[in-house]
Amino acid sequence: MRRIPYLVLALYALVGGLGPLLIEYDPVPTSLPDRLRPPGSDVSYGTAWLGTDALGRDVLAQVVYGARTSVIIGICTVALACLIGVAVGTAAGYFRGWLDTVLARGIDILLAFPAILLTIVIAGAFERSVLLVVTALSATAWISFARVTRGIALSLRERPWVDAARVLGVPRPAILVRHILPFTIGPVVALATLEFALVVLAEAGLSFLGIGLPNSAVSWGQTIANGKQYLETAWWISALPGIALSVLIVNIGILGDQLTARYGRGHLR
Amino acid sequence: MFRALRSRALTAMIILAPAALAGCTDASTGSGSGSGSGEITVAGTYPIESLDPHGPQGGGTGTQLAARELFSRLVRPKADGTLEGDLATAWKPDATATQWTFTLREGVKFSDGKAVTGADVAASFKRLIDNKGTNAANFPGYTMTATSDSEVVLKATKPDAAVPGKLATFYVVPASVATTDAAFFQKPVGSGPFTVEKFTPSQTLTLVPNKNYYAGAPKVTRVTIRKMPELAARLTALRTGEADVVWGIPDDQLGQMQSDSKLTVETVPSTAVFTMWFNSSTPALREAAVRRALWQAVDFQTIVKQLYPQTGGLADAPVSPITLGYVAQQPVTYDPNAAKAALTAAGFDFSKKLRLQFANAEFRQFNQAVVSDLAKIGVQVDLLEKEQAVFTKDLLALNWDINFQQLSNPTFDAANTLGRLYPCAAKRNGYCNPQLDQLLSAAGSSPDQAERVKLYGQASQIIWQDAVGMFPMAVKYAYAWNKRLEGFTPDPNGLPDFSTAQVRGS
Repeated sequence: MRRIPYLVLALYALVGGLGPLLIEYDPVPTSLPDRLRPPGSDVSYGTAWLGTDALGRDVLAQVVYGARTSVIIGICTVALACLIGVAVGTAAGYFRGWLDTVLARGIDILLAFPAILLTIVIAGAFERSVLLVVTALSATAWISFARVTRGIALSLRERPWVDAARVLGVPRPAILVRHILPFTIGPVVALATLEFALVVLAEAGLSFLGIGLPNSAVSWGQTIANGKQYLETAWWISALPGIALSVLIVNIGILGDQLTARYGRGHLR
Repeated sequence: MFRALRSRALTAMIILAPAALAGCTDASTGSGSGSGSGEITVAGTYPIESLDPHGPQGGGTGTQLAARELFSRLVRPKADGTLEGDLATAWKPDATATQWTFTLREGVKFSDGKAVTGADVAASFKRLIDNKGTNAANFPGYTMTATSDSEVVLKATKPDAAVPGKLATFYVVPASVATTDAAFFQKPVGSGPFTVEKFTPSQTLTLVPNKNYYAGAPKVTRVTIRKMPELAARLTALRTGEADVVWGIPDDQLGQMQSDSKLTVETVPSTAVFTMWFNSSTPALREAAVRRALWQAVDFQTIVKQLYPQTGGLADAPVSPITLGYVAQQPVTYDPNAAKAALTAAGFDFSKKLRLQFANAEFRQFNQAVVSDLAKIGVQVDLLEKEQAVFTKDLLALNWDINFQQLSNPTFDAANTLGRLYPCAAKRNGYCNPQLDQLLSAAGSSPDQAERVKLYGQASQIIWQDAVGMFPMAVKYAYAWNKRLEGFTPDPNGLPDFSTAQVRGS
């Protein structure tokens, strides 16, 4: 049972990675005579196993390409957020003093601000692009990483081995990298999985609102939004990418919980 | 902390939830109407922000809809586009069409019981001009004077044959209303079929019959216009009986409405035409041959048939058939091979991307289909869906190569579209042709209607053959209303009048 999330995630990675090599999809060409066909219909370009959307495009291809988009954006955002968050958090926690005061209060202020709102403001203010979505999502995602690592750094700096290193005259950046950072990896990885789920969901949300990815990109959020007005007549447009999204989120959530239980803060000692 | 994270996940989910909810609502569980016996509820697409027809929002769809229930006009258009008298019983131009005399209806009263006089009409016109709203731009430097209690004279600065049509958006308020009078327009006095019971800007407007209305008070006891911007919400409300009238229904949803035995569905030809201008000032699109070839490359017949089987028809003129000045043109036949050959012959640069801009998600599918057809012959197009404000700014700045618009014409007169948008001086699409200018100015100033139609026909031919734009589709509005409503007439401009409606059995 514990392996299920891994299997599901591996499947998504496989579909997202290899699917685009097997299935061809370009959002530009439309095939109007094939519009709104139910799953399994024969259309002019083959069989639409998951049906077609309002412009006659294959939903299966959109789900597969959407998986790739989601995974890429998720990884990029989490990597960026992780980098910023861990750097800020460990620096604040280890150096204390005015640096900690400024950074910790800054984090508190950002935490008090509704994250999704800030993301929408950033994403809505500029021209739509993948880079913008990653930036907008990272703008709030790094905070959790900073909070977690700051807490760890705060407790670690009082440990004997850190004291010993300090007494031996090891430079402070080296202490940070060699004696503090390695201990943050466990909790950070656990947190990263949870953040990944949130980012994928938030990206779909932004695209659904029409302020996420450009129209030329394929995204689950856009596909779901496009099917919104056909929920009664052509449920497959919104429902199938929606299910793909939900299954991914649920499995990452379970995986995140497993990792938290194993490497979370409680197991540091 | 993880709890905080979960609440963020929840927030993100909430964004995706409305779509699911809208689909889950079971229409059949709703029963009866939320309103009482003689009352009707209208699901409005656009917010009514102000009731002042002369104010800055006067040109907005919401305000126009409210204004036609609350105020009278000199003339009003009928469903077929011809004009009939409202406050005026007769109108005639002088020999040069610069001076128009309107004879006013006898015995018309405002809802407060005071008589409507020529002075009220002239003062309203002055108020319209002084407020510099969108509709005031139709009357540059024009003046109106009351020659008696029952006659007004409108003086134009130059010959203007389109005056009656333009006056279809001019509403009369009492002379005592100041240029800016927000308090008055919270509960305005007018001579239209209804008066305001309650008004909450951009949410609901509740109307009750005006007992002093000259044509007899409306038979419905109350009309509530409620803003419902989401299409799914409007349609669900209609099917549950929460709303009685909905319009602007897309084709894909029309079938469901038609299969509902409780509803009457009707489509009505509108003045709106899908207009896709080419920016003739762009070097790539300067030649008419290139523009014609691009038009030829798009299979509009299939697109219209597939996406708008009921509410669209292939356009055959730059203006719609119910507009004065409509003359049918030779249809453009779809021929991608000829188009490609013509583009190659004209030295068209296939490596350069054209920017196609539009606003409003409802037109996305149509434009995507156009882009797809152009891509088939190797013409690359960047489809840019813009926010309305950005779209308008870019439109005026000519910051586009192809511009998509649904152009409607509340005046039912080609002067408002052809005459206003296509002369060189208008600088709206980079096209300039002195011969066209001449035709348009002659058509705009001739008092003879048949002559005007002929001239606009010639102008349309130039616009059509030089492919100033592509004119793919004439739009019909789809209305659906509850069968308990009788005597309701759909309006070609999406501004229905509820004064003739009646609730069955009440």
